Amino acid sequence: MTRITTGIDQAPALETSLEMPYTLTTGKAVSVFIEQLGHGVIVGSHCDNCDRTVVPAQDYCARCGGDQGATVAVEPTGVVTAITRTADGAVGLIRLDGVDADLLHVIDESAGEVAVGDRVEATFAPEPVGTILTLAGFAPSTSAVSTTAPKEIDEVADEDLAKQIIYSLSLPYRHAYGPNYGRLFDELGSRGGILGSRCPHCQNVLVPPRAYCEICYVKTEQFVEVKDTGRLQAFSVIHMEFIGQTRKPPYVYAEIVLDGASTRLIHNVAGIDMARATEVLDIGTPVRAVWKAESERNGTLDDIDYFEPIPE
Amino acid sequence: MKSVAIIGVGQTHHARRRTDVTQIGLAREAALRALEDANLTIDDIDSIVVCTGPVLFAAVNQPEKWLVDALGARMKPVVRVTSGGGTGLAGALAAVNQIRGGFAERVLVVAYDKLSEGALQYSISTLYDPFWGREFAVGIMGFSAAAWRGRMGRLGHTEEAAAMVSVKNHKNAFLNEYAHVRRDVSVEDVLNSRPLCWPIKLLDVPPISDGACAVVLSSGDIGEKSENPAWIRGMSYYSEADNAANRSTIQSEPLEIAARHVYAEAGITNPRRQVDVVEVQEPYTCFELSYYESLGLCEPGGAAALMASGATQIDGDIPVNASGGCMGANPIGATGLIRLAEVAQQVRGKAGEHQIDGAKVGLMQAGGGWANLRGVAVVSSQKG
Ligand SMILES: [Zn+2]
Ligand SMILES: [Zn+2]
Repeated sequence: MTRITTGIDQAPALETSLEMPYTLTTGKAVSVFIEQLGHGVIVGSHCDNCDRTVVPAQDYCARCGGDQGATVAVEPTGVVTAITRTADGAVGLIRLDGVDADLLHVIDESAGEVAVGDRVEATFAPEPVGTILTLAGFAPSTSAVSTTAPKEIDEVADEDLAKQIIYSLSLPYRHAYGPNYGRLFDELGSRGGILGSRCPHCQNVLVPPRAYCEICYVKTEQFVEVKDTGRLQAFSVIHMEFIGQTRKPPYVYAEIVLDGASTRLIHNVAGIDMARATEVLDIGTPVRAVWKAESERNGTLDDIDYFEPIPE
Repeated sequence: MKSVAIIGVGQTHHARRRTDVTQIGLAREAALRALEDANLTIDDIDSIVVCTGPVLFAAVNQPEKWLVDALGARMKPVVRVTSGGGTGLAGALAAVNQIRGGFAERVLVVAYDKLSEGALQYSISTLYDPFWGREFAVGIMGFSAAAWRGRMGRLGHTEEAAAMVSVKNHKNAFLNEYAHVRRDVSVEDVLNSRPLCWPIKLLDVPPISDGACAVVLSSGDIGEKSENPAWIRGMSYYSEADNAANRSTIQSEPLEIAARHVYAEAGITNPRRQVDVVEVQEPYTCFELSYYESLGLCEPGGAAALMASGATQIDGDIPVNASGGCMGANPIGATGLIRLAEVAQQVRGKAGEHQIDGAKVGLMQAGGGWANLRGVAVVSSQKG
């Protein structure tokens, strides 16, 4: 999941990614918009207060904040008001005939370049896809400017509307280690040493090492190695399962104060009968790190497989 | 210090999942209710503060720019404030400071979260830094459960005492028309409920909610002219470093500091006697016990006895979470503001079925982060 790599600036970085699943609620207007695209109809909304029509249909008028009035079918033709080209093709703003705001969408240039001011017409995907992409994009058109006023549509039956859409975010990151984390994880990965930094004022040893003591707010001046043994300051037995979890329950979430440190380390306790975890463990229970085989280490906190109680 | 009043309050009927509105539609519902309560329209508002939890909760970055549309807030100042479970209070404080600073006369605070849309614990785990602890994180629940285990022995915050908090808050939620969890539970039910992060069990945990709350705050002059204002008598929000040397998992230092400041501002020397009603943001039952002590409702180590005495029940001498607290609904970004709104409604005599007779002074608490961001406010029917 995480690994040390070499960044473009030659400084090591930590690569991570977040894979977040979502179920997004579309709201009434957008669900009608998406449903109607399946019938080849582009739906906007009309604010009676402002006397303006926007596409796609919206639940509220962005101009006055009021409830939108009628849901209306608009003409599939319009004019390009802006255009830009990407590696994947052109996108632009389209002002549909009889509409008072631009729509951002794909512009089909397969038949030649399209310019601002050109007339275009909607093209639809062969099958509805459940998003705005049922409207595939806009292609050049010889249509005349339509003077047909947007027409109110019939109420769409509630059961025909998809009220939620499945969505996901995949977010890759490269985190710079900086000097303190860099040194910490180099030492951890190369020889299993755990470093902190000492505050010259209060003498506390801060793990992980940091440039400043948060309490005295003075610069720490010295790396100090702490032991891979310590005591439980707090712990909890995890039974819950959740998306993104890196371990299989049950397991013990532990806050450990390592011998020689003044701050807590978050890790797991294992090597015990989990069914008896609440009896075996206590606040203050001494624990020691169980390291992974050297071949499996990669310079992260995961190099410690878990902590186990030290037998009395 | 300039006076600030709450002149309008609104919340949504909270739900596990609202499939009929978008996140901005949800926020708008509460905003319109607060404006109606204040007898104002958006045209009367000088400035808007939007409050939500982390954007990873619902996948829309800078959601305040989207909310501008739904509020009709174009051409007005709009900012967003975020601070975990304390978000709503932090947003209210931003509004109070805008008014105290003379930058606005009427400020609308809109707080919401639509937690049904994303992966909650995974999102919360990203509060940890990516190098140190994230891979072991269990949202905020693992951390909170561990800290509770630490307090158990030292302060006697037993599983039974926490179970009594759950029973009380679940019962009170029956009286709250906006709550979506109304459940009759017994101490045995709580103790026997499924462990999630032991000692935290299923019935120690509030629901995951879609919901919003909004409050209109005003200057003293406008508050005077308002029909039924609640006066802000003190409001503070403090932090501590998450992993500083020797950080206490036993007592919350920033909460004690915030309470001290607010009590001094409000002229409170004995909160147990001078406060009529309390609302605390209790992400888990164990926190409510801890807050009793940090807020000075009892001595350190006295929370279990205070709970057992019945004093914090709705008919006790210091009712805590008469609304049901987070146990009835917990839309995280709104929760802090809901606590403020609830005490405001109490001192305005508008709390509905869970109204405490004659309530004049209300105390609320909310906080976020790794329990390291903590705030307090006192509201009163009297301007002071
Ligand atoms: Zn309008
Ligand atoms: Zn220091």
